[in-house]
Amino acid sequence: MIAAVSLTLFWMAAFTLWWQMHAWRTPETLAATRFQPPRGGTELTFSLLVPARHEQLVLDHTITRLLESSHADFEILVIVGHDDPGTAGVAARAAARDPRVRVITDTHEVKNKPKALNTALPHCRGDVVGVFDAEDQVHPELLTHVDHAFRSTGADVVQGGVQLINFHSSWYSLRNCLEYFFWFRSRLHLHAQKGFIPLGGNTVFVRTGVLREADGWDQNCLAEDCDLGVRLSSTGKRVVVAYDSDMVTREETPGTLLSLLRQRTRWNQGFLQVYRKQDWHQLPTTAQRLLARYTLMTPFLQAFTGVVIPLNVAIALLLDVPVGIAFITFLPLITAAVTFVFEVVGLHDFGRQYGLRVRLTHYLKLVVGGPFYQLLLAGAAIRAVWRELRGRGEWELTSHVGAHLTHDSREEART
Amino acid sequence: MTSTLPAAAPDATAPDEAAPAPDRTPSSGKRHLTVRPVVRFRGSPPDLILCAVLLAAILVVQGWNIAGYPALSDDEGTYLAQAWAVQQGDGLAHYTYWYDHPPLGWIQIALLTWIPAAIAPDSMDVGTMRLAMLLVSAVSAVLLYVLARRLWLPRWAAGLAMVLFGLSPLAVVLQREIFLDNLAVLWMLLAFCLAASPNRHLWHHFAAGIAAATAVLTKETMLVVLPALLVTMWRYSHRDTRKFAVTGAVTACALIGLGYPLYALLKGELLPGAGHVSLWDGITYQMSRPGSGFILDAGSGSHGVWQSWLYYDRVLPLGGLAAALLLLLVLRWSVTARALAGPALAVAILALVAMRPSGYLPAMYVIQALPFLALVLAGAVASVAHAVLRRFREPGEPALYTGVRWTVALALAAGAVLYVGPRWYEGNRIATTVDANGPYRAAAAWMATEVQDPGRTRVLVDDALWLDLVHAGYEPGLGAIWFYKADLDPAVTKTMPGGWRDLDYVVASPTVRRDAVDLPNVRAALQHSEKVAEFGEGEDRVEIRRIYEGRREG
Repeated sequence: MIAAVSLTLFWMAAFTLWWQMHAWRTPETLAATRFQPPRGGTELTFSLLVPARHEQLVLDHTITRLLESSHADFEILVIVGHDDPGTAGVAARAAARDPRVRVITDTHEVKNKPKALNTALPHCRGDVVGVFDAEDQVHPELLTHVDHAFRSTGADVVQGGVQLINFHSSWYSLRNCLEYFFWFRSRLHLHAQKGFIPLGGNTVFVRTGVLREADGWDQNCLAEDCDLGVRLSSTGKRVVVAYDSDMVTREETPGTLLSLLRQRTRWNQGFLQVYRKQDWHQLPTTAQRLLARYTLMTPFLQAFTGVVIPLNVAIALLLDVPVGIAFITFLPLITAAVTFVFEVVGLHDFGRQYGLRVRLTHYLKLVVGGPFYQLLLAGAAIRAVWRELRGRGEWELTSHVGAHLTHDSREEART
Repeated sequence: MTSTLPAAAPDATAPDEAAPAPDRTPSSGKRHLTVRPVVRFRGSPPDLILCAVLLAAILVVQGWNIAGYPALSDDEGTYLAQAWAVQQGDGLAHYTYWYDHPPLGWIQIALLTWIPAAIAPDSMDVGTMRLAMLLVSAVSAVLLYVLARRLWLPRWAAGLAMVLFGLSPLAVVLQREIFLDNLAVLWMLLAFCLAASPNRHLWHHFAAGIAAATAVLTKETMLVVLPALLVTMWRYSHRDTRKFAVTGAVTACALIGLGYPLYALLKGELLPGAGHVSLWDGITYQMSRPGSGFILDAGSGSHGVWQSWLYYDRVLPLGGLAAALLLLLVLRWSVTARALAGPALAVAILALVAMRPSGYLPAMYVIQALPFLALVLAGAVASVAHAVLRRFREPGEPALYTGVRWTVALALAAGAVLYVGPRWYEGNRIATTVDANGPYRAAAAWMATEVQDPGRTRVLVDDALWLDLVHAGYEPGLGAIWFYKADLDPAVTKTMPGGWRDLDYVVASPTVRRDAVDLPNVRAALQHSEKVAEFGEGEDRVEIRRIYEGRREG
């Protein structure tokens, strides 16, 4: 029994590790994850959706940055709630300053991100719809690169990189940043290659026609981004992922542990919802369906692993089990150790890519914080299942304080 | 249909399967851009044909008379007997396993010989099971060829390396024997091949770490070669993915390696304690083995071992050492030298370790150096050939110069063949014709037929003959006794309260006579016994001696 559980865990962790390291498999794979340098000017027009809710502190900065884009033809649609005058005011002032900015008011009684996005979808005039969050820092060259990516690959969807930057803020933000790093830098590319991809929440670009054909976002899903990706890839739409460290959209981790827990719960619950919607059943091959099943279940498997590994080792060391069985119980620990080591190396690479000083204490935090972060993930997973079973599907929004902005300005001041 | 973006830059596209791809070292001005020749072994008929032909030659030379030469070694018997114990389900050895070596080596031997031993149990003796080593040699030889090609050697030089590795009389003699080192070499060669994988795949490097750990767990002395493996991996990985590849490999190697102490820990035998063996004691014993002296000090044990290697072949050990030195000296200027930095370093490390005056130098030590000696020697020859044929050559060189170059090259090659040919011919002629094990076989036959009641007879025998006696019906462990266990294993001495009086026979092979000096019980048994049969003559004779007042009479 223990041996069976251990072997299952071992293979699960091994596969997860295999996929997590996808981008670094060969130098050629790594090179292929980047944007191609744009050639031949810009041809497409963009509608950029920026849903904003109680985000008057960061919104203006975000819009200003977006307007600095080098692309020739784009509009910004800021979506604000009818009950949020603060944010609406910031948006209106921005619209008055620049004709490319428009304000869309969402009048839904109960608000969430997919509803806001769907409200704006009919107003989009561009060939391509892009989504950004109100706290995002977008690189001015991004649109030009995405334009080129659409044209050179004939893609229906382009997913750009998103990266949490404020790894110095706390022990969990460090791990959170690294999760993003491995996800957008590496794992998503594998999903794109395999033809099953849960899209990210922002820096995602979809051809307007494709999006309308798919009826926009699912308003009842807590992970509408993942859901959209699953639905589009299940109908055979071509998704392209590109990651360039200087072209990623920079974000911040949730400000408190509790809000991180809430955010993670929401994602997990969203994944669960997507799993139960069964759109992924339409995927053509068994391998793809397996990947889908596994990916959507990952948060829960992960939580399970976190609990079982220490238990297994304790059993092997304390109870009197045959040596062979004891060896098998150590297998999951081996994959966990390998994952740990790759995380440390990943942190080093992350620091290199973003020109950030990663100190010894950060590595220590990463290693020591590992088990606690596992606990957090396990907690979020359990909470998600609990909420889903109780039928609680409302949004728990995370508020943003702009830690990545201040950090970035400090960076700029230094250079 | 979804996919990642096509590659960013033209030079970053996946390399064509067959064509050489340019190395992506940025031309920063300081570093030269070297073209990285990618060899796809399986897709290259000339490579396959050459390799197959050489392999056939190696198999014939190594396989012919494999049971007859060289003389059966005590160590072979030890490992095969322990492999037999594994097959019998008796644990890692039929005596208490005391962490003398990591057990992975004879576990592999057990697997290799499993099917023949299951079909014909009596075939599980040293002479017959040497055939299993033929398989190991074959795989190692092919791996060496692949490695040579992956380390950028031209086809002919890779073939030369394979010939040196497989046909040198020294290699023929040692690779025939059931030594753990031969298995460890196979794993280490696999590790090197994976480290120099043309795909530069993260998981190839990871697997290289696992293979290296397996090599070390097969024969612990492989530990010293790991730095050379690391150098190779560093050199053949790509700048952008190197940190993941190398740390992955190191982690894999360390984790698998830790499996051994973990095994001891789980058995409660990690640290010394009363009433049980321990890994700690095993390591302490190996580290404190009396040194065999400085290798260049004539009269020392190490010097004797060194001379015994040179007796079989001078070309590979001396030529290889010189070649390694040459390559390390011209590291700055020679592409070949840089490509072979790993193997050259391996030779250097192994040479330095062998020269420790306080160290113990076993005869099979050279086995783990053989592939690296062969590689660097072939590499050096390739370097010299390149220097003679291509160095300073300009386009439109006069035909006369080219003629001179080729004449010199052919003269050198002819000289080498004239020097090596007769010596190797003689060495391999002996290896394929001389029967050194007639006395052993005769002694085994005598013990099987002339002794009345094998099941109740107690015999001191050396490890090489032990399995033959077991097949003849002697009780494994306390009936047929590894002779030194009569003095060294408490579990055995306990059953011999009367010392030599509790024994019936001693099969006094050269090994037994040699080691009896330090073993009181064995010495006493030899003194209180009479010769009842003798096979062979001189130093190599095998005597069967019956104890004067053994149990049966007394």
